[in-house]
Order: sequence, then C-alpha cells, then structure tokens
Amino acid sequence: MSAPANVTPPASALPYRIPSLAYRILIAGFRVVLAFVFFVAIPVAVLAYVHSRGVAIPISIAAVTTWGLLLLILSAARYVLKPTAAFGPLSIAVSGVFFAYLYYLVLLSPYRFVLPGGSASLAASYSMFLEILMIVPAVEILAGILTTVEDVAHPGERLPFDYPV
Amino acid sequence: MAALGAPVHRSPPAIYRVARALRWFGIIVLVLLIVYAGSVAYSAYEAAHATVESRSLTGVLVENGNIEVSGSFTLSNPGLYPISGLELAVRLANDTGVHLGTVNVGPDTVDGGGTGEFPIAISLPIAASSAAESLLFVDQYIEVGAWANVTYAYLFPISVALTETRSWGAPFEGFDASLGTPKSVNGSVVVPVTLTWSNHASFAEQGSISFVVDSAAQADCGGGSFPMNVAPGAVYDQTQDVTLSSGCSPAGGELLASITVDGSTTSFPPEPIP
Repeated sequence: MSAPANVTPPASALPYRIPSLAYRILIAGFRVVLAFVFFVAIPVAVLAYVHSRGVAIPISIAAVTTWGLLLLILSAARYVLKPTAAFGPLSIAVSGVFFAYLYYLVLLSPYRFVLPGGSASLAASYSMFLEILMIVPAVEILAGILTTVEDVAHPGERLPFDYPV
Repeated sequence: MAALGAPVHRSPPAIYRVARALRWFGIIVLVLLIVYAGSVAYSAYEAAHATVESRSLTGVLVENGNIEVSGSFTLSNPGLYPISGLELAVRLANDTGVHLGTVNVGPDTVDGGGTGEFPIAISLPIAASSAAESLLFVDQYIEVGAWANVTYAYLFPISVALTETRSWGAPFEGFDASLGTPKSVNGSVVVPVTLTWSNHASFAEQGSISFVVDSAAQADCGGGSFPMNVAPGAVYDQTQDVTLSSGCSPAGGELLASITVDGSTTSFPPEPIP
C-alpha cells in the first residue's frame, strides 16, 4: 500500500547531506582569511597609517588583533560545528564576544587626537554608531538561544534545512 | 487503512525560522552599517582635506568710537553627509593675552558638497590704555581660538578646538603727535603740530584728522585739521602751524586727536604733551 500523495514525511526523514569535516574546515579557512582581511588586516593597516602620521590612535593595534582573531577563531569553530548541538552555544559565544568588543570600543569613545603641528585638536564620538551596531550581536545572541533551544528540543531537526540535498 | 502518523509539513520548525530570520536581519543590518561606516569614512577623509579656512582679520573704525575686528571662517564640506548642529565660538586675544571678545556662531548646517562661511566681528570701544587702543596703534599678533561642536553624518558628534595666530596691522601704527618750538607770528604764538603714523591696516584711511591742544588746566589752546588719505602701507607725516590762544600754554597739557571717516568721528586717547 502506498502512502497518500498529500502526506509528507517527518522532518527528520527529509534528506540532507552534511559536508565532510575536512570540507567544512576548508571552507571555514577561506572564510577566516576573508574575514581576517576585513576585520583585522584593514583596521590594523589604517591604525598603523594614522599612527605613522603622528596622530594618536583610539585603540591599540594589539587589541584590534586580539579581538579580531578571537572572533575569527570562534566564527570558524561555529561554522565547522554547525551540524552539531554546539552550533547554538557557539553562536551565542561569537555574538557575545562581538558585543563585548563593541562595548569595549564604546568605552574608548570619544576619540581624542591632535593634528600634526598641534594647531587643532579633535574629539570624535562614535558611541552612537556603535550602540546601533550592537543591535547586530544582540539579535544574533537571540538567534543562538533559539537555535540552542531547538537543538535541545528536537535534535537534528534543523539539519535538513541547513544542509538540504 | 491504518494511520501513517501525524503529517509533518516540509517547512522548517517555527523556532528555526525565527532564528534564521533574526540571523538574516542581523546580517542585513551589519552590511548596511558597514556600507554606511565606509561611506562616512570616505566623506570624512574628503572633508578633512578641505576643513576650515580662516580669513585674515581686518579692522575698521565704526561709529561711536569703536573699532571693529572682523574676519570669517569658511568651512567646506565636500563629503556626502551634512555637518549639522555647527556651533562655533571664536575668542580673540591680543598679544599680551588680553581678551578682546568672543563671537558665537550657529547652530548651523553645512550640507554635503556645500560650503559655509561664518563671519565674525567684534566691536571694541576705543579707550585709553584699552586693548582696542593697542589695536589702533600697535602691530601685533592676535590669538584666534575657535571651538566648534558639530555632528557629522547624523551619528558622529565631533568637537574641534583650533588655535592660530594672525598678524594684525595697526591702522595708526606708531601714532605720534608732537609739538614743535613755539614762535611768535604777528603778535600771536604759533606752534607747529606734527602728526605721524604708518597705516599697516589693509584698508585706506580716507577722511580727516582733527586735533585740539589743551593746556594743563584743560583749556582749549587751539587746534587744526588735516585731510587724511593714507593708502595701506603708507606713512602719514603732516605738520601744521596752530595759533595758540592768548596766554594758553600747552606744556603739561594734552593733544586730543579725532578722526572723521564717512561722517563718523572717532576720538583717540589723549596724547600727553611734555
């Protein structure tokens, strides 16, 4: 006897194909390289350029590198472990670190510096922008919590949708 | 026929859908903010190359015996975003640090791609030993301190403090009124009065300069008037004989000079006569 056409199989029975661990590590590596350029290399280059012109920089290059690498490592781990129950908690961790990074930057605002020659000094506040930007990790934390709840309540249920055939 | 179990729809679970929507929302907001930040950085870089220009300070004699020090700040904004809430305070001090005055400008807005010019003018009463008096007679450097609060690109409040020194050319630099040796002419006592100065201001002095010689007891001994047409950078040096009133001695008195320009008269501080 065949099943009626209008009845669909349970989600857990839907087909999916999880990429191999090696493949996920490879892709995560590419993403790390790309993210490294945008979130570490370019900011560090800009800060180094400004510093070389005799202008004080708002944040140390070491801090940018440390926060950036921490974010990149956690993001890579999150991507690699996406098929597992660690995905949700890692999403919360990545967004939490991002949130903390932004909060750290808010504490450094305003950016005070003196132009070369000493004729003018400026104080630029960027805290309003960062506070708006903090919406992003806040939302991502919420998404991570929901994913964690989903994985606890229905383990593997999201996999067919995360990795459809 | 036996039931096959509760049918499960193919759409993702609700929690999953909400989480995914939140994640996409976060990504979209992040991308928008990065694009915005990038454009702000580019605009700010462009604006930093234009920044603020201040025009040289000039002085002009105005009614009621005041001297007006004027200049302007020009702020060009070649960037994409407006400079809003611009509030500018300009403080002038002479080279001995005496505060001449403060001018407040704004709040104002300089749109993206626009230029704003903000004139500043401070009117100072000319009185003996005043800071304004030194502006009339002594070349000096004026310290211009400017403090500006602006909001750039809606979200970035910026405070700027700018200090620069501007040279000031006195319109009556080295003003000197001297009396020569009295002599007798047709039974009257005549004394030559010489007025000299250099016009180091940027404007021509056109009008007349009058003077009165007072005795020590402040009695009017006589006076005279010179036409005045002194180009910028030129030296004025004129002598005129003044017939003194009978019995009036200028020794120990003072010479009171005043200039009339465009119908407006400004009195100079008294010059003591030895």
